[in-house]
Amino acid sequence: MIKAQNISHSYSNDIALKNIDFEIKKGEFVAIVGESGSGKSTLLSILSTLLKPTSGEVYFEGTKFKDIKDIDTFRQKNIGFIFQFHYLINYLTIKENIQIANENSTKEEIEELLKLLGIKNILNKYPNEISGGQRQRAAIARALINKPKVIFADEPTGNLDSINSQNVFDIFKKLSNEGTTIIVATHDLKLASKTDKTIEVKDGQL
Amino acid sequence: MISSAIKALQANRLKTTLIYLSLIFSITSIFLISSISNGIITMYSSMLKSDGDIIITQAKISDTFFSNVDINLIEKINKLSNIKDSSAIIVGASPVEKLPIVAVYGITKNRFINYKLVKDSYPKENEVLVGQSIYEQLKNKNSIEIANKSFKVSGVFKSSIGFENGGVVLNIKEAGEIFNKSASMIMVNSKIDTNIEKLIKEIRTLSSKIEVKSTDNFVDNYNQFKIIQTSSNAISFIAFAMGLLGIVSIMSITINQRKSEFGIKRALGIAMKKIVFQIMSESFILGFFSFISAFFLSHIILYFIKNSSQLQGYVNGEISSTLAIYIFLTSILMAMVGAVIPALNAAKTDPVILIQGNKI
Repeated sequence: MIKAQNISHSYSNDIALKNIDFEIKKGEFVAIVGESGSGKSTLLSILSTLLKPTSGEVYFEGTKFKDIKDIDTFRQKNIGFIFQFHYLINYLTIKENIQIANENSTKEEIEELLKLLGIKNILNKYPNEISGGQRQRAAIARALINKPKVIFADEPTGNLDSINSQNVFDIFKKLSNEGTTIIVATHDLKLASKTDKTIEVKDGQL
Repeated sequence: MISSAIKALQANRLKTTLIYLSLIFSITSIFLISSISNGIITMYSSMLKSDGDIIITQAKISDTFFSNVDINLIEKINKLSNIKDSSAIIVGASPVEKLPIVAVYGITKNRFINYKLVKDSYPKENEVLVGQSIYEQLKNKNSIEIANKSFKVSGVFKSSIGFENGGVVLNIKEAGEIFNKSASMIMVNSKIDTNIEKLIKEIRTLSSKIEVKSTDNFVDNYNQFKIIQTSSNAISFIAFAMGLLGIVSIMSITINQRKSEFGIKRALGIAMKKIVFQIMSESFILGFFSFISAFFLSHIILYFIKNSSQLQGYVNGEISSTLAIYIFLTSILMAMVGAVIPALNAAKTDPVILIQGNKI
């Protein structure tokens, strides 16, 4: 489903990634592991179209990213993002935050999703009115509302306690079983061990 | 999208207030500068247009204050066909009591009718008629001194033209003695259906020392009006530029602080044009409400200016509908241009760079 071919990336003179090659199949639950600064977040950003690599190609279902004309629509239809920080917009309610990703989503659809994530009663609350765990799950709901083919998560449990972390991984596992491809960057090897496949990044190389 | 823009403005109250104030001050400045200069031009041109189809001034003189035309020309002009009547005026200025500058109009008798009496009578020899505005400020309401000569106040008139309402009117002969001239201008009234251009040519043959123009042509080409208009435009442009710079600076800071918001929106697949549209919507709303506020603020300030005794009614701003529309468009343009550069910068940046920028 996603194929990275000879990916390299540099920030000014610092090499973040060097000659990365791998492939991820549809429905796989993959963990990208590595220490802080190893390049895993850069790799995740490149795989998810958020960052253009200095060199190399990324393919999505056989199409090069650079050949996709409307990258915004592509992202909206195919990709969901979850970050370590929730990045919910403070001046919008949870419902409005989720509707940013899909303005056609109905209240019922959002409620159903929030129910699935165990946060049904926060629909009309603002991010600063709910707990950290609830915010992270709301961010997950925002990533899921479009039913994306791939979900990218960068340290999604970094700000969560162990119980909430486990819950988030359980949700990912369930989505993966339903056919969604999940790619998670994490430094938590215990959680990574619960995925189908682990890719280790060290000093910008696999 | 609009409700989102309103919420974003409410969420960034300090910056919204700063941009709002910056816009209000700039727009109010443009309003005041433009309306006051327009008011001065309107007042003076109304005065010139009040009586006469043709204006005669001294040739090769750039300002009516320095013009000196032989008043005896009136007799010759009146002998031409199609002349209804002719009158002359001396335009001068003099200190009166504590007021440093008061407009002084020396006029021929047939022009007195232009000044609507509200008290007593028109002036005879050694008498002056004073405008209502200046009359209210006089300590001695019975007589005034102009150029060391005392004049009895014969009456009071009211005029909608600030220059006149704050001025003094007397017989042209006495004004001529004060200002050492015969007449500043001669105004000619023609009969209905007269060919004005033909009449102008005829008047020109009467003297080589005069410049003859139709009143409209005179007003349109009056150098002082051009200077006032050009200065007004220049100052308005500076006010516009200052406002624009203020908005660009604050919008840049605001957008910089909201990088992660725009980054996450890009990451969620929101099109660049939608993000730019939201920022522009926020700016439009600010521009619109700033215009409304500045419009009312300008009216309040102009009211106080108009009624300020120190200004003697000489400064009388006029906000015409054309000016209001022009400034409305300027306000919106200012707000939109101020936002478009930082908005486009935000939209072009890679989402991950924006997201890493800072946390909300």
